[in-house]
Amino acid sequence: MQKNKLKNGHQQIKINMNAAIIDYGMGNLTSVNNAIEYLGFDCEIIDNPDLMSKFDKLILPGVGAFEGCINNLKTKNFVKNLNEEVLTKKKPILGICLGMQVMAKKGFEGGEFEGLGWFDASVVKIRPQDDTIKVPNIGWNKIDYNKENILFQNLKDPVEVYFVHSYHMDCFDQKNIIATSIHGQKITVAVNKENIYGTQFHPEKSQDLGLQILENFLTV
Amino acid sequence: MKRIIPKLLLKNSTFDPNQMVLVNTNKFDNVKEIGEPVSQAKIYQSQVVDELIFLDLDARKFSRPPNFKIIRNASEEIFMPFCVGGGVNSIDDFSLLLNNGADKVSINTAAFLNPKLIKESADIFGSQCVVVSIDYSLDLNGNYFVYIEGGKTKTSKSPLDWALESEKNGAGEILLTSIDRDGTGNGIDIELTKKIVDSVSIPVITSGGCGLSSHFSDAFLKCNVSGVSAGTFFSMRDQNPIQTRSHIKNAGIKIRTKT
Amino acid sequence: MKKCTSCVLPETHETIAFDNKGVCNICTQVSVQKENVDWVQKRKDLDVLISQYKGKHDYDCLIPYSGGKDSTWNVYYLIKVLKLKALVVRFNHGFMRPNLNDNTTRVFRELGADFHDFSPNWKITQKLMLQSFLDKGDFCWHCHSGIFSYPMQVAVKFNIPLIFWGEPSAEYTAYYSYDQPEEVDEKRFNRFINLGISADDMYVRLGGKVDKRDLSPYQYPKLKDLRRINYRSVCLGSYIPWDVKKQSKIIAKELGWKGDRVENVPEEYSYEKIECYMQGVRDWIKYIKRGYTRPSHLTSIDIRNNRLTRKEAVSIVKKYEGKEPPSLEIFLELVGISKEKFYQISLSHTVSPWKFDMNSIEKGEKLKDFDKWSREGKMDKKDAEEQIKKWSSTNKN
Repeated sequence: MQKNKLKNGHQQIKINMNAAIIDYGMGNLTSVNNAIEYLGFDCEIIDNPDLMSKFDKLILPGVGAFEGCINNLKTKNFVKNLNEEVLTKKKPILGICLGMQVMAKKGFEGGEFEGLGWFDASVVKIRPQDDTIKVPNIGWNKIDYNKENILFQNLKDPVEVYFVHSYHMDCFDQKNIIATSIHGQKITVAVNKENIYGTQFHPEKSQDLGLQILENFLTV
Repeated sequence: MKRIIPKLLLKNSTFDPNQMVLVNTNKFDNVKEIGEPVSQAKIYQSQVVDELIFLDLDARKFSRPPNFKIIRNASEEIFMPFCVGGGVNSIDDFSLLLNNGADKVSINTAAFLNPKLIKESADIFGSQCVVVSIDYSLDLNGNYFVYIEGGKTKTSKSPLDWALESEKNGAGEILLTSIDRDGTGNGIDIELTKKIVDSVSIPVITSGGCGLSSHFSDAFLKCNVSGVSAGTFFSMRDQNPIQTRSHIKNAGIKIRTKT
Repeated sequence: MKKCTSCVLPETHETIAFDNKGVCNICTQVSVQKENVDWVQKRKDLDVLISQYKGKHDYDCLIPYSGGKDSTWNVYYLIKVLKLKALVVRFNHGFMRPNLNDNTTRVFRELGADFHDFSPNWKITQKLMLQSFLDKGDFCWHCHSGIFSYPMQVAVKFNIPLIFWGEPSAEYTAYYSYDQPEEVDEKRFNRFINLGISADDMYVRLGGKVDKRDLSPYQYPKLKDLRRINYRSVCLGSYIPWDVKKQSKIIAKELGWKGDRVENVPEEYSYEKIECYMQGVRDWIKYIKRGYTRPSHLTSIDIRNNRLTRKEAVSIVKKYEGKEPPSLEIFLELVGISKEKFYQISLSHTVSPWKFDMNSIEKGEKLKDFDKWSREGKMDKKDAEEQIKKWSSTNKN
């Protein structure tokens, strides 16, 4: 993989890397696909778990509810392969929105459900102390982030990104949290543990800063 | 954070039947062709707006869903949330648009005639995807009424009642448009907008009448709307969303500052 | 109309805001970035950038050129000092002044460079001038668009991937961190240059009445074509500090570059905006719309750099601003409209709270080369009428 590249917003010396966007029936695949192609990288939408091994990086999008997400991943046979690719082979993976939430141990949306368990965390409802603050959190919010983390390189403050969610990942290991925001309470908006990354916000909908974050992941 | 939302009205062009163009209107009439949809979406993205609304004005007329090909082309170039509406009648129409890159779908006439559509779509796709669009006008007695079918048909419902009903049915957002003020630059209808924002708990976007940057700030400060949408304002004046954002920020309103 | 208590810019200036002492945000802005830049490192970065492209194509780089002080410095530095083999490209807007043409001849005979000069179809230019004047109160769309798009097209066609523009804009985009060079790309084009109208949009605004190909000089090339040649479009001013006064002196000395008087602007600013004989009309329209124009802008910069007191600035503004330029009569002929119509259209773009007084119009002085400014190719009044009719019928004003 070519490491040195000329940094230009829209142009990239082609890095030999391909990314897979996991299609398990929930998620705005088109937007993520468009964003990655716009950045100049190769990517493919795959619905066959066995194909994951052919790709350098994985992206797990998600729109909807926790239960539906984990069930779909199970019924479409993604869970075993994901564990192998991510936990054993240490392949970089980025979970977006629900895709990040499902990486937790448990989710409490509409019941209690078990997630992939990659993060020692629970996905719980946002409970703003101030009742003028509405849930779901839809719109742009400023985030506070770990400037050292590779996901957040080359960003210029303030970093404002786009959210659509009612639940957030409450992490028991604070070290996993690499970005937070305030929506009536402090919420976790990005996590990282070794090769596993997650963003609660939608980088593919957050214009330049979002594209930069996506690019940072793709060049990890 | 408050949102600046350009409105892109799509129509078949008068000079080439195969080309859809963007238009401005004045009181929902007096169509002026002002640009190419994907080009304008890209330009608005460069000017860092918060969201876009695409409305296909010809869809209902030709009994078809909104032009999803344009939406798909636009989604290859723009990386921000956008809402699409115009002639949306069914769950299938919703799916078609969401699968082609839209984040939200706006329903107007179809929702009014069949409010169950609001609940159905909210259940399947999530309420954050469902925007109920309400066009309204003031009659000679000073009463507001909802109009459907592209502003052609007067109903007997008030915008307030319809907004409350939409919320009850599961709408995620309301898009309010004043037919009287559309394209006039005379300012947003502060009175009605405030009444509706105060009555519902879901976000409200108001539109129709922006002529000055201060109209945006007024709407945010006086009505506490979540977003202001404008079409004519950005395309026919020496106005740029970056300037408007600056103006809004200077008025002390919480808005994205990144440009 | 409120004006800054420190400089002389009024409230109608774009993005201006006043603090509680009445001082504008432009005056209080600290240009930290410029002062904290590590120019030694930047110079090293420039050398690295050049080494990636030098000698690999028919030309080491492409330099867009207009003939003003900044682009002349640009060609001087890249060709004479850095010794690059450049293709210089000029999009000719059609209003070059005689002194500018003399400068250009003299500069290129002195420097030596291949010079690619392109003049677009005049009949299309006229339509574009009128349409953008109607829609945006600014008739220069063709020039803004052509200057930034055309050289990029040449870069793609001739496969010259490294493009050097001159002075950087003040803004740094969000996508790059503060220490990264500014990219002069389509995003910047859409943000600041083309009045929010692309060539595709202009085609629609003209009602499809031109051949789509007539607008191709104004079309920004597709990103995929630019990526294919591995393009870098940067500002020289991102790598070397830009000092306008110093640079103007050097190009005058080394290349014989000469400044020129501009309509309704004091002599001391003869190094600015000397290229175009429609500059006076452009400045005048700004005055009608916003109540201030070039003298306010220039003296405000001098106030901020401690070269003028506010009192002196006010007196200069009073002497030179608010005067109808002689070039207006040429403009009217070239776009086929009456003076009455001109004022009607300009006034429709007024920025509140300024109110232009039609009754107190003074006339400005003619410049020495006025009679050499071409009035050929007058617009057919019927064609102009048709364009205006379409605008009037759908314009609330």
